[in-house]
Parts: sequence; structure tokens; C-alpha cells
Amino acid sequence: MTPSDKNRSEQSAATQGEIAAPSNGRPRKKAKKKKGTAASDVTSRFYGIPLPGVNLEELSGSLIVLEGSDGSGRSTQIALLTEWLESEGFAVQTMGLRRSFLVGEDIDSLMAENAVTRTTLALMYSTDFFDQLERRILPALRSGLVVLADRYIFTLIARSAVRGMSRDYLHGIYEMALRPDLTFWLNVKPEIAFDREFKKAHTISYWESGRDMSLSNDLFQSFIRYQSMMKKEFEYLSKRHGFVEVDGEGSVSEVNRVIRKRIAAHLGIQRTHYQPSHALMQVWR
Amino acid sequence: MATVTPDILATSSPEPEKAAAPKRAYPGALVVVEGIDGSGKSTQLYLLKRWLEIHGYRIHFTEWNSSPLVKSATRRGKQRRLLTPTTFSLLHAADFADRCERQIMPLLHGGYLVLADRYIYTAFARDAARGCSPRWLRNLYSFAPTPDITFYFRAPLDVAVNRIVAGRPKLKYYEAGMDLGISLDRSESFRIFQERILANYDQMIETDHFVLMDGTVRVNKLQKLMRQIVGEKIQLAKFAPKKSRRRNDAIG
Repeated sequence: MTPSDKNRSEQSAATQGEIAAPSNGRPRKKAKKKKGTAASDVTSRFYGIPLPGVNLEELSGSLIVLEGSDGSGRSTQIALLTEWLESEGFAVQTMGLRRSFLVGEDIDSLMAENAVTRTTLALMYSTDFFDQLERRILPALRSGLVVLADRYIFTLIARSAVRGMSRDYLHGIYEMALRPDLTFWLNVKPEIAFDREFKKAHTISYWESGRDMSLSNDLFQSFIRYQSMMKKEFEYLSKRHGFVEVDGEGSVSEVNRVIRKRIAAHLGIQRTHYQPSHALMQVWR
Repeated sequence: MATVTPDILATSSPEPEKAAAPKRAYPGALVVVEGIDGSGKSTQLYLLKRWLEIHGYRIHFTEWNSSPLVKSATRRGKQRRLLTPTTFSLLHAADFADRCERQIMPLLHGGYLVLADRYIYTAFARDAARGCSPRWLRNLYSFAPTPDITFYFRAPLDVAVNRIVAGRPKLKYYEAGMDLGISLDRSESFRIFQERILANYDQMIETDHFVLMDGTVRVNKLQKLMRQIVGEKIQLAKFAPKKSRRRNDAIG
């Protein structure tokens, strides 16, 4: 019972669900061009059906996404990028999973209970995502802010896909999501992610090791297997959506330099030198 | 849809779910009732349930929005009016998914006759009236099993609206569709909202094989008809109590 595919053909090419069906013809790069060409990109800022009630021409800000597993260094990079952008005079808004006012806490408690099934959890996450998109990101983009997203729909799609949910189904839900201007993927080997996570928390989380999937009773094995599945899913998503792949195993400063360069080009920042403040120096190393 | 106009007024559901013969990979059966508020559907399903219950059939009754899982979120969203058409729809879908995966599916696999007061068509009709894309909604609920019978209780708008307005001191904000900004008057907003929902239901009669029930017919007469249809379309013997079949003949 998936009528979506049949009906997709009814849509004009301009609004076709590109995540679900890779575009034929329209160059993906277009959406990533610098601001100013936005007018012609209006219909491609969503993956498929546009979110109801959004006037794309009002969106003057930029949406920049950082994806990567736990231990890939996302949060560190976001802290640094925020400071750098602010020092360059750009106002920043952040978003991340489970941070919506509407259901953020509810997801936390659902996950603690272990009673939740995969479709329900996926839909709670999508509620969380769209609440943030509609009530936080879009207003920020209307005000010309730079939105830094600590994970985006790609993690949500990948998590559900490795749990056996239909990719078409997931893409169908998120076709109303806004297409990011830039998506960075901090790619790290699961073993490296394990080391970093363990160092940080001295344990490995239930969900990040995919323990709900009964992969292995050994936590290390379970973590590696789960993260390897996620990595494979991301390799696929990366090709499809033109991620900027960054070697997340490099040093914080190296990774930061690479990302900064791309963002600087996108936002038209000339000088890319950046010296983190004392407060942030501790995470720099 | 080349231009980006919110289809707030969308009352059509252009995806004829072309008679896809429902897969029944389970021994149970699913009977659902649909219709706008005040159409009499809940009363009729209750009577159907009582009939089956009294005779000891293996049944389970389930209704929309009963899961404790998303209750706090729904309450928070409604109280503070934070819900947009999209998050409203997703939250209800999450709630439905919970009931579907933890209740309806296991019961169907366990050989129960499941009776549902409102089903996915409620979301199709109501959320499309709020401006959600019908195609998006169909995908969102594509995990749900197709019912064996979908009774659609239809009453004229005035009859249904009067039944509701008379019985309720104050219509709730979302219930009245106040979030759509149609009218500042709650009763008026409710009426227009219900009118759109009714039109959306009507669109699904053929595509989704609704069994049309006239909500203005007397309760007991309508119930008689409902029981007759259930008896024809569902192999009730499968759900009958094992021990004695003594009173089955009396049914219907």
C-alpha cells in the first residue's frame, strides 16, 4: 500500500520528490550556489511537496548541516563554527535532534522506557524535526540568520532504514524538509568513534550501539556493527545528496579549517583566519 | 504544483488507491467506522461491539487518540497552540503507529476481530482540510493494514453540527479548526471545518470502498443493517466462542 510512487508522476518535474527518486536532469549543485541565484532555486529548496504556508522568497538565511555519528566531533565543530561566524558578524541559530519544545522531552522518556516501536519512534522524531523546522529554523532563515544543524533528516532516515523501514516511506515523510545549502558529513571509522565516545562517557549508549536490534551481546561488537550499518547508509545518502565529506579523523583544527573554507565561500567571507577564544581553546585540541 | 502555493483549501484527495487488493497476512479482521463528528458512528460501533461481546466473540475495540504515549505532547501542543498542520498530523500519526504496532497488528495476527472507532481516513480527511498534501498523508499512513469493512456514516452537515454544538458547552480550539483562521466565531469555524472534512470523506467513498451508512436513519434500524453487513462480509464463525455454538443462529 504505497500509492505515493504512482502519484509522484502527477507532480511536475520541479516539485518531484528528489530524495525518493533521484532527479533526472536538474543539477544538484544548483541549490548550493551562492546566494543571489535563489529566485530560480525556489522550487528546489524542498525535496518534494513544499511545506504548507512557506514563502521561499523570504528565506534569506543559510542552512548548514553537520552530520556524522556520535564521536565524529560534530558538537565541537558547531561550537567553533558558531563563534567564528559570530566573530564575522553573522547571527547563528542552532538546531539538533530532540530539541523541540513540542516533543523533545517526550522522546527522551520514550527511549528510556524501551517500549516504543520503530515506526512510532520514527514519527516522534519527525514531529520533533518539523516542529523545529517550522518554529525555529524557518523564522531564523526569514531573519537572515545562519542556521547550524547538529544532524538533520539524514540521520533520521538512516536510523530507520537500518531498522528495516522502507526508504521510500522515510523519504516521503521528509520530502517537505528544507534542502540544506551545505551538508557536511564528518566521516569516522566506527572504531575511532568508539574510542572517542568511551573516553567521553566511560560507557556506550544503548541507542548508539543499536542494542534494540539485538546485533550482539557484546557491547563493542554491537556498537561496531550498528555504526558500520549507519556508515553504509550514509555513503549512499552522501552520493544522493552531494554531501561534503570531511575526514572526521583529522584533528579538530584541520576539520574546522576544511569546513570553514566551504562555508566562507558560500557566505562570501573573505578572511578565513580564526583564532578560538580562551573559552573554546580547550575543545580545540 | 509548479508554484508554491499552500493548498490550504485542498479538499480533494487525488490518489485513487486503486483497489489494491488488501494483503491479509493474518487470520484476524478489521472493521472501522468513519464519519464527521455527530454522524452517529460511535454509537453504532458501540452497539456492534455489544452485540459481538454479548455473544462471546473474540473482539477488541480501539479508538483514535487513546494512547498514553503521546498524550503529554498532544496536550502541550494543544494547550499552547503550538501545532501546525504538519506537526499536528505527525503527532497523530505517531500515536496511531503506536496503537497499530502494539495493539492492532498483534491482535490481527492473533486472530481477533478488531473494531476501530476512526481510522486512517480520519487523518486523510481532517489533515487535508488543514492543508496537508493528500499524497504526503497517504504515504505517512502506508504502514496501516487495510480494513475489511469501512463503514462511512454520513449525516447532513446541519444535523451533525447541531448534534455536536448542542451537546458541548464549548468547542475546543483545534476541534473547531480555529488554527485555520477561517472564522473568529468558534461555531462558525467548526461548521466550515466540518464541511471541508465531509467533502474529503465523500471523495474517498469509491477509492477506499466505503460502505455508506445514512446517519439519519433510526439508531436500531441502522444497527440492524450494520450487523447484517458485518455478517455478510466477515466470516464471523472464525471469531465465535469455541465451546458452544448454541446461540449463533439467533444473531442477525
